[in-house]
Amino acid sequence: MNLFFFLMSILYGIVKFLHINFIPFKIAGSPVGLWIAYFIVAVVEVVLVFVLSLVAVIVIIYVFRKYMADAQNRIGPNRVGPWGTLQLIADVFKLLQKQDIIPTAADRTAYKVAPYLVFTPVILGFILIPFGSVSILNLMVVNFNYTILFLIAFMTIAPVGEIIGGLASHNKFSLFGALRSAAQDMGFEVPMLISLISVIILAGSYNANDIVTAQRFIPFIVPEILGFIVFFLAMIGRQSIPPFDLPESGSELVSGFSTEYSGMRYGIFYMGNFGFMALSAFVVSVVYLGGWEGPIFPGTIWLVVKGAVFIFIFLLTWISLGRVRIDHLLLMGWKYLLPLSVINLLISAGIALFFGGLF
Amino acid sequence: MEDKVIEVNFGPQHPSTHGVLRIKVKLDGEIIVEAQPVIGYLHRNAEKLAEMGGYPKGMIYIDRLDYVAALNMELGYVLAVEDLMGVQVPERAQWIRMMMVELNREASHLIWLGTHGLDMGMLTPFFYCFRERERILRILDEVTGSRLLYNYFAIGGIYSDVTPKAFEMIRTWTEDFVKKMEEIQSILGKSYIYVSRTKDVGKLTAEDVLSYGVTGPMQRASGIKRDVRKDAPYLFYDKVNFEIPTRTEGDVYARFLVRIEEMRQSASIVKQVLEKIPQGEFYNKKYSKPMLVRLKTTGESYVPTESPKGEFAIHLIGDGSSIPYRVRIRSPSFANLSSIPTMLKGYKIADLTAAVSSIDPVFGEVDR
Repeated sequence: MNLFFFLMSILYGIVKFLHINFIPFKIAGSPVGLWIAYFIVAVVEVVLVFVLSLVAVIVIIYVFRKYMADAQNRIGPNRVGPWGTLQLIADVFKLLQKQDIIPTAADRTAYKVAPYLVFTPVILGFILIPFGSVSILNLMVVNFNYTILFLIAFMTIAPVGEIIGGLASHNKFSLFGALRSAAQDMGFEVPMLISLISVIILAGSYNANDIVTAQRFIPFIVPEILGFIVFFLAMIGRQSIPPFDLPESGSELVSGFSTEYSGMRYGIFYMGNFGFMALSAFVVSVVYLGGWEGPIFPGTIWLVVKGAVFIFIFLLTWISLGRVRIDHLLLMGWKYLLPLSVINLLISAGIALFFGGLF
Repeated sequence: MEDKVIEVNFGPQHPSTHGVLRIKVKLDGEIIVEAQPVIGYLHRNAEKLAEMGGYPKGMIYIDRLDYVAALNMELGYVLAVEDLMGVQVPERAQWIRMMMVELNREASHLIWLGTHGLDMGMLTPFFYCFRERERILRILDEVTGSRLLYNYFAIGGIYSDVTPKAFEMIRTWTEDFVKKMEEIQSILGKSYIYVSRTKDVGKLTAEDVLSYGVTGPMQRASGIKRDVRKDAPYLFYDKVNFEIPTRTEGDVYARFLVRIEEMRQSASIVKQVLEKIPQGEFYNKKYSKPMLVRLKTTGESYVPTESPKGEFAIHLIGDGSSIPYRVRIRSPSFANLSSIPTMLKGYKIADLTAAVSSIDPVFGEVDR
């Protein structure tokens, strides 16, 4: 995995370098060379990010299965490919072969669109993650002043897909799943955004890259431990993995919003969930642990290591905890996380006022 | 929307109804207004089938009632037949029966604990419980020759003696089990999420328990200290020391604690049986197999026994022929299920699965 990222950063540097050499080509005064260069860079970047997100999903699902099996006295996938590594590929082919069942009473358009609404924003979110910097080049597909806002926007779209899918399936269990998803997102979104605002105050910028460079001496987890806790819990809640898997809640609502989904549509929901897990692990490490900042090793490796730590924590909570009840969850979101994030906002405002030069 | 109440069918095909229970639930948002259990989806006519063959043949249907604790079911039938016929059973056979029944009770409670964890959204305890259950099943396999449905207790004794190897397996199991029990209990009982979800959920008062005829661990969790093994000892339960765990809260958490403690007590009973078991015959020679089919008598018998789910008994009526006139099964899960409307009213959907799984229903027995 690290090697992959390292190769990717080298490739990326080469492409960026080419882009400088293309500039002199001009046809009738217009900088065609520049356009070509931009086009090549854009294509390569998009392909790389898409591959990266898919690889992240595949690796996480494999690690998840093996890790969970290990915790539960099982062996886990061990038949397809070496050590069962190709199990997910086999599963995807199995799901592709399945009949595409749409309930007769379902809202067909919304039903078909919903899985992509969950999966697409996750891949789009990867565009905005700063993966490191090689000398003067930022390994970031899109770099502009409001990256963090767009990142949060993409992460907010994904649960909307769950709600639409649940409402469109015309099933009472799906309806309950969708309603729970909506209530849960409300409960976690507000504290999450407030704790993010305090990070933006400290960094003085909406740009993800600036937020990373602001943490070159002290990562934000030190002054904002409260905000980190709130943000981390909110991230677990937004992924709807146990203990906050209320929208799906296997034993209560059959399968929640995805009850009626089968075949590859369900598979896309599934992959979207794991992609969201990777994305949120990267976001947490960018915002609170200094992203690619770190000594000796290249930045990309640091980011991947930090992200992997969070992914393992996510998986550990998944394996070891039960499901909370909806009223306990809402109580937690509104009664504890929200005040904590406001306190954290005040603290970080104070820090920015008196020790602003540190960051 | 004027009418805010939605009617939802939980089951008969639903992941957390432990088989084929259907609950008609009226929901106001997430809150249960009314819950009505509907049963009969696993009806196999066990009572009538048992009335169609001779006395020994009834065993195979009784075996399949509560298929996770088949030996407990067999015991109820065997005791009823022996009481009806006045059959003498050798001491060794009775001790072995007691040991096997307690082992099967452990297996049944372990299944309950695992599936209860599943219903609370925890996958991991399930595997730990099934690992422990697997050890018990291996012991039962060694003794009886099968893993789930045994047909081991015979009228007048047992079908085969327990081998020294099996005794050794049981001895090592009793030593290990207490440690494993701590581990399993801590997975659920030390989890704040689990405790907060089960405390004050699915409450039954002592009055409710008595009026519905609820028995077993559910009854003892509501503060009624009643156990057939103590109150009307059958086999040699009066010769071993064990406690009846009781709680007064009457909620799901209390049932969890009662069942956990019961498992400890069962293990201690098995340990005591191992010390006290005498040598001798393991079946009554007079009732060896060719004799069995010619059992005939008139009269009635009813011997209550304590199955893992509650008070289990068979009301047997003989009319002088070799076929029982009536085999009426008093199944504990059936009576326990009838408390669902009281237990669920006013709670949330999430509490439904917690409360239903705390009953520990097995539908082979409910729908007999």
